Amino acid sequence: MKTGIALLFLASVSLDAQITYDRLLKAAEEPQNWLTYSGSYKSWRYSALDQINRDNAGKLKVAWVHQMVTNHRIEATPIVVDGIMYVSEPPSNVFALDAATGRPFWHYKRSLPSKINVCCDAVNRGVAVLGDRVYLGTVDAHLVALNAKTGDVVWDVPVADYEKGYSVTGAPLIVKDMVITGIAGGEYGIRGFLDAYDAKTGKRRWRFNTVAGPGEKGHETWPGSGPNANAYQQGGGPTWVTGSYDPELNYIIWGVGNPSPDWNADVRPGDNLYTDSAIALDADTGQLKWHFQFVPHDANDWDAVQVPVLVDADWRGAPRKLIYWAHRGGFYYVLDRRTGEFLLGKPFAKQTWAKGLDDKGRPERLPNSTPTEQGAVIWPGVQGATNWYSPSYSPQTGYFYLTVWENKGFYLKGEPKYTPGNRYVGSVPDIDMEDDPGYGAIRALNPSTGEKVWEYKVSTKPWSGVLTTAGHVLFGSNGGWLSREREMMEAYFFALDSGTGKELWRINLGGTMSSNPITYTANGKQMVTMAAGGALFTFALP
Amino acid sequence: MAQVGGAADRDAGGRIFRTHCAPCHGIKGTGGTGPDLTAGRFFHGSTDDDLYNNIGNGIAGTEMPGVFFNGKQVWQIVTFVRSLSQQPSPESLKGDPGRGRQLVQGKGCLGCHQIRGEGGARGPDLSVIGSQRAAGYLRESIIDPSAHVAYQYRVAKLVGKDKSRHTGFLMNQDTYMVQLLDFDKGLTTIPRDAIADYGVESGSIMPSYKDRLTGAEVDDIVAYLASLRRAKEATE
Repeated sequence: MKTGIALLFLASVSLDAQITYDRLLKAAEEPQNWLTYSGSYKSWRYSALDQINRDNAGKLKVAWVHQMVTNHRIEATPIVVDGIMYVSEPPSNVFALDAATGRPFWHYKRSLPSKINVCCDAVNRGVAVLGDRVYLGTVDAHLVALNAKTGDVVWDVPVADYEKGYSVTGAPLIVKDMVITGIAGGEYGIRGFLDAYDAKTGKRRWRFNTVAGPGEKGHETWPGSGPNANAYQQGGGPTWVTGSYDPELNYIIWGVGNPSPDWNADVRPGDNLYTDSAIALDADTGQLKWHFQFVPHDANDWDAVQVPVLVDADWRGAPRKLIYWAHRGGFYYVLDRRTGEFLLGKPFAKQTWAKGLDDKGRPERLPNSTPTEQGAVIWPGVQGATNWYSPSYSPQTGYFYLTVWENKGFYLKGEPKYTPGNRYVGSVPDIDMEDDPGYGAIRALNPSTGEKVWEYKVSTKPWSGVLTTAGHVLFGSNGGWLSREREMMEAYFFALDSGTGKELWRINLGGTMSSNPITYTANGKQMVTMAAGGALFTFALP
Repeated sequence: MAQVGGAADRDAGGRIFRTHCAPCHGIKGTGGTGPDLTAGRFFHGSTDDDLYNNIGNGIAGTEMPGVFFNGKQVWQIVTFVRSLSQQPSPESLKGDPGRGRQLVQGKGCLGCHQIRGEGGARGPDLSVIGSQRAAGYLRESIIDPSAHVAYQYRVAKLVGKDKSRHTGFLMNQDTYMVQLLDFDKGLTTIPRDAIADYGVESGSIMPSYKDRLTGAEVDDIVAYLASLRRAKEATE
């Protein structure tokens, strides 16, 4: 019997982490693992596991805790492959842990230059895995391939120049034999892009410029002249949240962030494509297939860096390939995935900037909805009605779930002066207003109409996403980090009934939650993992 | 080599500050996620060269990043930061710190405030207040205490469903509970579902001393409070 246990133990930790592209295509069929940032190429952040369900979730206990040595926020979604968890430690390190115990196998610790500017803390949202390699983007704007067994560097290539404000904070996405990575730096006057690299060699296959330059389609939306003729060169358009992939269409669908400078749009007249847009690229060439711009000529920093949720469903009586997208500006959208056609747009939170959307989905802006020198009060605030943290779609309930902020902001317009490597934002807005700080909520929407089905209200605006499971459970959390009164921050991780929003369980984890939960199994037992403060917490039934 | 500049540099530094520093230190430098910069004394060094190095290179082990500005621009920021705290030094304040000390002891201030281990707990500890707040702020706090009420000194009044009554400082609150320093019962947590009525006062419990002290007495107390500094700064 002793021998049997020993063999089982050996088998569980010595399996090769061989993730083929085929396994990634069918990731949702392996709920024991969590193979991509959003759990599958469709990005539902939904798991078929149901050991933990609405009847027993109240009994969840801490199974293990992994403390990191960092004073940066953990924004990572862990990847779990056959018993091994790969998770980044901010700013740009990686741990391989035993997913059953949390005990580390190896730790890749990157030496970084002393001076790196990242707008909103030196963070990392996770790694990607293909074959026996783990892929990591770094805050000094490199892409690194590590040996999954040892953490040794296989290759390390520069993506862009960190001294000019470029950084990689998002998790890469594997498509076929390529590593797709976005770029961050929308507050530093970068010119954004989405890149594909050969997973074996690190050689770049293609780059799509998210700010259209001369000779590129869309450049006409940067009509600046005189001193603003080259505004596109510092035009922003970062791509720091992992997108989705439709293998049938062979489209990579990704969200593009704000134009630069954020809050003074005078230097960049025009619609500023492809900032604040959803883009669909041919996965083999990086050619643009379509785009949909949520906010033309944005001056409120309402990035479209949300995770595109891909669903095939009936639309007004006929089957259709759809995208569900709740955008930072406060509208929920349904788009056609083949063409980018706008099908539906409806506010999911209070907004005071658009009268509505026209039949193409273009916002009809209201007066006084952009920053002024005296300041303008606008809903939502600068951190949006939702942000980069992940939504979820449950095929079990048919609902779309998201974290919502009901809040206003005070938008000031200032000087837009570009100096390489420094902030290029054109002022500073204010949120968490003393007279009306707002609140947060987890909401379930009917994705066909955008109507709210239920809401779970919390007093501190959350910075984390949601996970749903076949156990009729939604996992989410509250707890902010950018608050006037940090001491008031709450930090509860909770389980709700995904059908009704009723609370099933909660635990105070006592530290900032600024990532997304995942679930997997270890030795056949369902586990749920969430980062809080400087640690990774994993829960299981007793 | 200090190169603090004049008004033009100050204004140029102010423009940089608003974009690059204000997100953490506040638009007026009074602090946010980063510390208040208006007292003119800094935990990581208060000389011009300290400021230059800390602004240019960041401060290791903190969230303070370095910046990619040239040396002249960093000096402009230093010039602006210096202008935030151009209040008289404690020695040149017109009040008498010795008399101020006697007034603080004699007028009942220590009934609520603590100074170096002596006094009460119904107001901010003043032991090193001279390192934390500028003289103008101290004066305003005596004349008009409700102008700025620090978060932890807001007074909450609460009635429980069991008719119990609580009055105290609001220490913390979240989706599920309210935490008070109850004036009668001490540190207390009350679940929200046990609360019948709950509100937070906007003003301070400290009365205004505008009509209780002469102008000269206010000067003396301000001079005394401004002299209460952290040990390592007291000899600067």
